[in-house]
Formats: sequence, C-alpha cells, structure tokens
Amino acid sequence: MTPLLSLTHVAKRLGSHQAVDDVSFDVANGEAVAILGPSGSGKTTLLRLIAGLDTPDRGEISIDGVRVAADGRSIVPPYERRIGFVFQDLALWPHMTVQQQLEFVLGSLKVARSVWRARINDALTLVRIEHLASRYPHQLSGGEQQRAALARTLAGQPRLILLDEPLASLDSELRAHLRQELASLQRSLAVTSVYVTHDRDDAAVIADRVLSMRAGTLVTI
Amino acid sequence: MGRWPSSRTWVLGIAVLSFVVCCVLPVASLFLEILHRPAAITSELLLDARRRGLLSNTVVLGLGAALGASLIGIPLGVLLGRVAFPAKGLIRIALAAPAFIPPYVMALAWVYLANGFTLMNRDVASGWIHSLPAAVIVLALVFYPLSMLATEVAIRRVDGRLEEAGLTVARPGQVLLRITLPLVAPVTLAAALLIFVMAISEFGVPGLLRVRVYTTEVFTAFAALYDVARAVVLTLPLLALCAIVAAAAAALLGDRVVASRRTISIQPRLAERWRTPGILFALLIIAGALVAPLLVLGEQAAGADSLAAVLAGSTSAIANSLVLAAVGATLVVAVAIWLGYFRARTSHGGHAADIIFLVLFAIPSTVLGVGLIGLWNKPGLPGAVYDSSSMFVIGYLARFVPVAALILAASTRYVPLAHEEAAAVGGAHWMRTVSRIVLPQMRLGIAAVWLVVFVLAFGELGVSILVAPPGEATLPIRIYTMIANTPPSHVAVFALLQTAIVLIGVAALGILASSLRIR
Repeated sequence: MTPLLSLTHVAKRLGSHQAVDDVSFDVANGEAVAILGPSGSGKTTLLRLIAGLDTPDRGEISIDGVRVAADGRSIVPPYERRIGFVFQDLALWPHMTVQQQLEFVLGSLKVARSVWRARINDALTLVRIEHLASRYPHQLSGGEQQRAALARTLAGQPRLILLDEPLASLDSELRAHLRQELASLQRSLAVTSVYVTHDRDDAAVIADRVLSMRAGTLVTI
Repeated sequence: MGRWPSSRTWVLGIAVLSFVVCCVLPVASLFLEILHRPAAITSELLLDARRRGLLSNTVVLGLGAALGASLIGIPLGVLLGRVAFPAKGLIRIALAAPAFIPPYVMALAWVYLANGFTLMNRDVASGWIHSLPAAVIVLALVFYPLSMLATEVAIRRVDGRLEEAGLTVARPGQVLLRITLPLVAPVTLAAALLIFVMAISEFGVPGLLRVRVYTTEVFTAFAALYDVARAVVLTLPLLALCAIVAAAAAALLGDRVVASRRTISIQPRLAERWRTPGILFALLIIAGALVAPLLVLGEQAAGADSLAAVLAGSTSAIANSLVLAAVGATLVVAVAIWLGYFRARTSHGGHAADIIFLVLFAIPSTVLGVGLIGLWNKPGLPGAVYDSSSMFVIGYLARFVPVAALILAASTRYVPLAHEEAAAVGGAHWMRTVSRIVLPQMRLGIAAVWLVVFVLAFGELGVSILVAPPGEATLPIRIYTMIANTPPSHVAVFALLQTAIVLIGVAALGILASSLRIR
C-alpha cells in the first residue's frame, strides 16, 4: 500500500549548518508518528520541508503517491498539499476571531459556504471551544489558544497534520492534560500526523511510532 | 539637608526646559493671543462662503494628498518589504528622495514642466498646474515615501509564522491581502493621517501653485496685509485640525511610535508574482517624482548665461543656509537625544508624550512662525534674539525637535535596558552609563537623525520666511522670493543647487542605513 507520506534521502542546509541530512522514512495512512530530538536537531526544518514552507536541497518528498518536492525544487505549493500545520507558537492571527480564522481556512480551500457552519461547529466542538468562537486570540488562555490552533487545522480536514511542539509553552499540568486529549483526538479521528517534540512523554502518549533525530539525521527507526 | 539633584535630573530638566521654550511656548502664546480676541474667534468660526472655500480647499488638499500618497506608497512598501530584486537599496533611496527635496522645488519643476507642455501646438497644462488637483498630485508625489517607508517597516515586523500559517491553506496573494495587510493597516492608516496633516501644513506648494488654503492665507494676512490679528485667528482652524488628526495618528500607532522590535527572520515572499510589474511601477514613480522634475530644472538651468553671474550676490544666502542648518541640526539632536532617551525609558506617560510630540510636529510651519513672532518680538533680550539669525535656529528647533525625539526614542530602545543595568550594578553612575554604554550603541541612529534634520532644515521655508530678520535670508527664502521677478533659468539654478545638496545628504543617509543593516 502507498504510504501517505514518503521522504527519500531528503537534505537541507541552512547557511553553513546541515539542518537535515539524508532523511528517509514513510508514514502510513492513519498513523501517528512522533519525531523526538533535542533543540537544533532539525525537527522543525523537517516539518517545514514536508509542509512546503522550505524546499529540500536534495531528495524527494511524496504525499499520497504524488511527488510534492524533488531535485531541489517545490513541485506542489504548500496550499495545494492539503496539510495542516500547528506551529510551536500557534501563529494565531491576532486580527481575527477564532471563527474568522476557521472561515479564512475554509474560504481559502474553496469549501462551499453552505457547509461552513457545520464544519466550524464540528471543529470547535471536537476541541471543546464552541463557546469561544467570537473571541480574539488575546482573549484566550494558553490552553484555549492551543485548542483554537488545533480547530483551525482540523477545519480544513487535511490529509496530514504536522505538529511542531505545540505543547512546549504550556505548564506541566495543562501539558499533561492536553497531551491526553490530543492522543484521544488522534485515535478517534484516525488522522495521519507527524508530531515533533523533545519530550519523551509527549511522544510516547501521542504517537504510534517514534523516530529519533540527532544533528539532522534519523538515528533509530 | 536637601540632596543635590543628580546628573539625570539636571539633564532631564535642561532638555525639558529647552523643549518647552522652543516647541511648546510658541504654540501656547498663540493660544493665549487667540483667547484675547473672542470677537475675532466668533467671526472666524462663523464660516462665510470665503472661509468655507478655504476650509474645503484645505481639507481636499489634505485628503487628496493622503489618498494619492497611500495609493503609491503602500504597494511600493510591500514591494520593498516582501520582494527580492537586484539593486533594491539603490531603488529604495531613489524612491525615498522626493520626501527630502523641498516641496516647493518639486512644485517649481512641475510648473516649468506644465508651461512647456503642448498638445498639437496648444498650451494645455500651464493653466491647470495652478489648481487644487495639481497641488494634490504634487504633494502626493512628495509625501508617498512616508507611506512607503512606514509600510515597509511595518511589513518587515509582521511575524512570518502568521503568514506561513496562512500559506498552508491559501495562495500568497490571499495571505498578503487577508493576513499581512490587515496587520499593518494601523501603521499605514497612521501614515496617511500624518500625510494629511503635513499636506494641510504645507505652505510652499499651494503658495507657488496659487491655491488658496489656510497656510497661504495666514502668510498673506501676516506678510502681505500686515494684519497680525487676522493671521493669528486664522491659525485656529488649522491648529485644531492638525492637533486632532495627529492625536488620532498617535492613538492608532500606540506604542509602535517608538517600538523597535528587530526584524523577524522568517519573511515569506508573498508578492513574488508581482515582482516585474512592481519593479516597473517603482521605476515609473522614480521617473515621475524624481527624474522628470530634475531634468526639467536642468533644462531650465541650462538657459542661464553664466553660473557665476547667477550665484553672485547669493553666496551669503547659500553659506547662511548651510551653517544655520548644521547648527540647527546639532542643537536639535542635542535636545532630542535626552527627550528620546527619557521617553524610551519611561513607563508612565510615554504614550501621552508621543501624542504631544506628534501634535507639535504637525503644527503648520506658518502657524508656528506666527507663534514664534508673538513670543520673541518683544522689547529687551527677546527682541535682540528676534533681530538676529538665531531665529532661524529657534525655528528649526521648534519644528524638528519633536520628530527627532520620537526617532531617537526608537533608537534608544534598540539598546537593551539590561546593558544599562549591568553597568549600574558594576558601579557606573548614570551619566557614565549613558555616555559610555548607551550613546555609543546609538551613534549611527544619532548620525542619521542629524542628517535628516540637516536636510529638512536646509529646505525649511514656512517658518524661515516669517521670522527672517531684515537683510538675512536662507537659500529657500531666496528661491521663493526670486520666482516672481527673476528669469526661470536663474531660479532653476538655485533649485538644482538646493536639490544637489539635499541629495548628497540622502545618499549619505542611504550609506548610513546600509551600515545599520550590516550591524
């Protein structure tokens, strides 16, 4: 069966630093993979390459059997890859309410307006913030912002979700709580995901499979 | 036993006193003068047809210039902030240059251009150039760099991750329109408001293009009709309009007036698709706003018999301008450094200080000139000062200290407070800390402000023409008074000379800006 995500000998240099070096791995449909590694090991760069925000210098990236980047060039732009990205600092747009953020995603993906309400309600209900739809990011707590970022990603119904240490800025209690929620959400939706973290507990709870990364290379699979 | 005030108190006291005397008192004395004329105020507030026309011309001039400048400046700001292309630094300098060339020089060039423009042997533009729409276009071409630079700076400060979050679902154009531009909207709107204020404060362009607005009316009442009372009362609507709009701009900007967050490293290129049309647009604007006026002035100047003969008799005005602008820039920086420092390091009343600085900067030059005359034209020591060329320098201080203080406050914020705290913990007293730790880190910013003020002072006309003592003149006054009774070729020589000196300053600023970026 074709893996949903496939990376073959992917490499990326940032200035004089080899951020990602000859990385290859596959992610099956519905699988949750965690990439575990210390700061500066190239985890975030790897996610950016998969999302199309950066282009690999070498190697090939395929999604659902379609090459999206190869031979040092981007073939499919990020907005056509149908990928959801939860950023480390969440990147919630400060001038939009939670609902407007979801509407922007649906509008950009050209989803029919008739289903917007249902899609927005579903996404907000899934992360249990349906009562916060009219709030701006600065009116939300850390945990609520976290859920809003997740809802924004889920609203687009991506085929692959990339999560870049989304729990990093939270206190340990909230982090443990949200970790469990994320894991159960992942299992109930059976969505394919790549979760980047430096926290072993996060990786163990959320992922079906854990990859370890050091100095730009995968050390164990 | 009372404690001797610290060096910090002394410096703050002297800076604030200088600011109050040079910038606040002229406006305050004008207010007092106006309050002494209740009957005149009543008659001025009852807008008859003539006054309605004056007000409408003034507002249309401001709105038109702000709209035109924003329509040109915002796309250029996006181009400079988000598109990579060769020789960007050079193009930025060329695009910014019109803001530094005195507006009346630009207006003069456009008058010459219009006078020489014929269509099928018919003069079609020489009448049109002396109209409100022409004044709007000239001012839009003079002020668009403010909108451009404000947009570029704001767009560089947008967190690239917010745009990347959009890029995962939307095309770059959509991200630019729905995420980036709304985030910079307060800054672009504030820039438009400031352009509105500067346009309605402008005296040289409407004066030269014979458009009746409040600034020209104030000048006529004072200098031509010698009706001081009317000149004073005429300043009231202009003063109120400028103060309200400048305060609105300051409120919109909030702490961004002196914010100095360093550029965020992730900067997605959202406007690459518009690279070629954008560069063509930039070149078109450079051609229209800079090259064409200079070529026209050059063509006119070429008609002069001998350069030496033209310049004879005006060398003292040229030397006067250079010396006064240099002294003025030095004193403005000397006062503004401390005001900027205290503004940057204060946690209370900082926003109120920003509003005061912006409102004072927005006071029209002819209004300020009338205020300065009211304050200094008195017997005794003030009268002795009033009769000397010191009045030019006082005028430069009144006009440029507020804006210099705002820029230097932003520059101060680049120096982390922790650097000062580390010096203080190490035993250094305040003056030593500032002079050895803070000012050296601000040296390029200080040099840039000095150059900006020098260039602005060198082209200053509105205040200078009102406060000039008998027999004393600066180059701008010389040019303005020559226009009516001297061959165009002679006027063009002076205008080109003025522009050349200004452009040397702009080039130096460009080099300084590159050094700042390298740091």
